[in-house]
Amino acid sequence: MGLFGGLDANSQLFIQGYFTTITLTVAALGSALVIGTVAASARVWGGPVVQSFVRGYVEFFRNTPLLVQLLFYAVLLAPANLNITRDPMVAAIIGLSIYTGAYVTEVVRSGIISVDPRQIEAARSLGLSQLEALRFVVLPQAIRTVIPPLGNLSIALVKNTAIAGGIAATDLLKVAGIIESRTGGDFTPYIAILVAYWTLTLPLAWAVSRLERRLAFAR
Amino acid sequence: MGFRALLAFPAPMNQDARTDIGSAGVSRPDTAVRPMIEARGVDKRFGSFQALRRVSLEVGRGEVVVVIGPSGSGKSTLLRCVNRLETADSGEIVVDGRKLSDPRLDVNELRREIGVVFQSFNLFPHMTVLQNLMLAPMRVRKLDRAAAEARARKLLDKVGIPEKSDARPTQLSGGQQQRVAIARALCMEPKIMLFDEPTSALDPEMIKEVLDVMMALAHDGMTMMVVSHEMGFAREVADRVVFMDQGEIVEVGTPAEFFQDPEQERTKRFLNTILRH
Repeated sequence: MGLFGGLDANSQLFIQGYFTTITLTVAALGSALVIGTVAASARVWGGPVVQSFVRGYVEFFRNTPLLVQLLFYAVLLAPANLNITRDPMVAAIIGLSIYTGAYVTEVVRSGIISVDPRQIEAARSLGLSQLEALRFVVLPQAIRTVIPPLGNLSIALVKNTAIAGGIAATDLLKVAGIIESRTGGDFTPYIAILVAYWTLTLPLAWAVSRLERRLAFAR
Repeated sequence: MGFRALLAFPAPMNQDARTDIGSAGVSRPDTAVRPMIEARGVDKRFGSFQALRRVSLEVGRGEVVVVIGPSGSGKSTLLRCVNRLETADSGEIVVDGRKLSDPRLDVNELRREIGVVFQSFNLFPHMTVLQNLMLAPMRVRKLDRAAAEARARKLLDKVGIPEKSDARPTQLSGGQQQRVAIARALCMEPKIMLFDEPTSALDPEMIKEVLDVMMALAHDGMTMMVVSHEMGFAREVADRVVFMDQGEIVEVGTPAEFFQDPEQERTKRFLNTILRH
């Protein structure tokens, strides 16, 4: 860690921050994908009540600031209120999942409706059930449409984890602030975390474009 | 039964060989016994638009019925009612003894026996040709992979494109795609084949290859209901021609009667507009 000059003494803290950011990203992305796929399916194939419920969810969480949402969960879960946890990581993961899930819902929904409805007709005409038609014909095609925007959302999520520092999670940004104050205004921790974010986002961007090419098929 | 007879035909290896199988005259099964498709007084409306008005039609076993008429006349709607892609508002349709209005009817089971070929092919673009053909036999008929593949390859042979088994649908010409679509439907060994304007989306030079396959199927004894503007096909292959206009069946007749001596004024007018060139 000599590479980072004044950082040496704080390298352990830095590494902790790095893994906190990774944990936030992976956990929130996983749950956001589940939330988004279920919500999008409900939005497309559910009854009118379910549909408007999902619509409300998407619009509500897309249209309030993420930091406000995180603070809300942190206070809501805290001992003074629901008394569930005071761990900022839990609040941050819940907040990031629900927030990102709203965007994933819209992406997956557009993927599903991008599949020509005549594809379902053709599948059903062969005797496949509605569920089989979705599983073997619609979703495999929707995934291809959805990969690039989902890649963008994952990258945005990596960057959004920086907001978790606002509710006292010791992510990369928080760690940089701590080190900066310890070393008396040294700006190198900020250079270090810029690089650290790149080590997450650039490979992600590369992986997505590779996946996109592998799944591509001419229409 | 028609399907088994189809497989008995020599495999068409090229365009010329394929046109020959059409000329092998096979006597049709007795169509008088009991119709394969019976529609009685079928009405269908979409909002305020009346798509079908008291339509009654029977299609016998092994019979080829070609339905013609101007666009919006209800011919595609009628076809789609037969496999319940559309549900008739009133009246009754009976397919191979099954009442389509029966609430206990298993639609998926009904559709296994009815192959459909669409104007826009509707092949699955994320699968190879072979996978397109194998999906339903494996998932619906529960064939194992080897049996499904053997059947698929045999049918690709029948439609004259065995070499395209690993291609993606989008790598094929329109005519080839439609032949794959026919093979995909035949893979389920249906008792009935429905064709919804199968050549309307094709370039002129590709129409013949598709009609040749359909002709072979017809001569083989398949029960077929064909919505089409191909008058040559209707003349040569149809047992009966049905003319529809504004949701009604205006006239039904053998091709000879129908084209040479139509009874109804509306039929005459329609034939004049399309045969004028």
